Amino acid sequence: MSLSPAELQAISAAARWYARLQSGVATDADRRAWNDWLIADPVHRQAWQRMTAVSEQMASVPGSLAAPALRGAERSRRQLLGCVLVVVPATSLGWLGWRSEASHNLLADFRTAVGERREFRLADGSSLLLNTDTSVNLRYDGRQRLLELLSGEILVSTAADPAQRPFKVLTRHGQVLALGTRFIVHSQAQGGEVAVLEKAVEVRSFSGASTVRVEAGQSVDFNARAVAAPRRNDASVGAWQQGSIIALDRPLAHLLADLSRYRPGVLRCDPRIAQLKVSGAFPIDDTDRALAALESGLSLRVTRYSRFWVNVSAPTGKS
Amino acid sequence: MSATDLSLRSAVNELYCDHHGWLNGWLRKRLGNAFDAADLTQDTFVRVLKARSALEIREPRPYLSRIAKGLLIDLLRRRSLEQAYLDALANLPEAHHPSLEEQAIVLQALVEIDRLLQGLGPKVKQVFILSQFDGLTYPQIAEHLGISLRSVNNYMAKAMEHCCLMQIKMQLA
Repeated sequence: MSLSPAELQAISAAARWYARLQSGVATDADRRAWNDWLIADPVHRQAWQRMTAVSEQMASVPGSLAAPALRGAERSRRQLLGCVLVVVPATSLGWLGWRSEASHNLLADFRTAVGERREFRLADGSSLLLNTDTSVNLRYDGRQRLLELLSGEILVSTAADPAQRPFKVLTRHGQVLALGTRFIVHSQAQGGEVAVLEKAVEVRSFSGASTVRVEAGQSVDFNARAVAAPRRNDASVGAWQQGSIIALDRPLAHLLADLSRYRPGVLRCDPRIAQLKVSGAFPIDDTDRALAALESGLSLRVTRYSRFWVNVSAPTGKS
Repeated sequence: MSATDLSLRSAVNELYCDHHGWLNGWLRKRLGNAFDAADLTQDTFVRVLKARSALEIREPRPYLSRIAKGLLIDLLRRRSLEQAYLDALANLPEAHHPSLEEQAIVLQALVEIDRLLQGLGPKVKQVFILSQFDGLTYPQIAEHLGISLRSVNNYMAKAMEHCCLMQIKMQLA
């Protein structure tokens, strides 16, 4: 984008002015101050015109239709968009299984159960969203703001700190240093993954051998020894915030492994269909519905031995 | 038409002949519907033509499927918005229904607004919709969502900045 830093700054300031004046509680002093800002610089006036253009675009639709339509679209995206498939020959032999266990970190400062998602506001104004089965310890002191991600997945939105303490997330494989930003950290047994949504972070493996800067729109995998090269985020990153998993041509086994994080008990996949490619959006707040959709959309057989033991296999008469 | 334009056109033409059938099949498998697949196949090649990069493509199929995937996501987004729009319309008293012609315009405007809002966090989006389309004041929004007035103010500023940058980006595209 060909905007100068001054223009970007003016747009940000114009947005703040716009928000203030729209509030319904703006004072005459606010309006005078806004006017002073506006006449101070032609770049300010240009930025303000852009705000007006946005507001005109919003005003171009009747609110009584736009509000429910935009909200409804948001809701339905969390639900199923559809499933489609491509069959690829199987490679592995044994049944693949995942079993979620309740987190052992019962004493952690912040915790979520399997299938739960919760947001916390931290003392410095930063916010922390915990995905399913996650535990985090908070270690703030005079020198740094440190989160220990014991297990699971978090989305962090950092706030500026008056004391300018650095913000770090520590996992068992390495450390993530936030550079004023919004990002996701997922810690698993074998390694971790960081996805950056705004600004940038620095990821360092525990060995300290490599430090990689990850920019907005990028993700990176790391383990205790090394940090991989950043790759581009795909559409599915962070969809759990809105309560869904988005799959684009993902092997069925991966999708089921992901779904199993959100439900208690055992979920198993027939190796003959593990490599089946699946696309769609699957609700994580109701994984039974996600399984039902796979069952009907892909004509798979989902056998429920109990609420806590489910097998997914190829339909009978087809191998 | 310049010489580069000509060679670009013939490159796209060649791409079309060689991979059109394959791409159509690829999309059909994913969409389960021949009409949408044909549309998206067409749109993919239009994108290629517009991008003017046909001469530099080394691996045509991964390249084409990447573009097609983006269009596929757009289509799914659009479908969910259309459905929500029809639901919203059904809940509106008949006297308030826009004419069919107006409806098409409103829907197109909504698609563009939806695109501007893409990428905003769910909370910020919620606040923005309540303010811009439900016409609530900030104190009302704060009370409705159980958040502070300051947060409402910050979310609104964030949303406006985001929409503005998206609008500029789309004008440049």
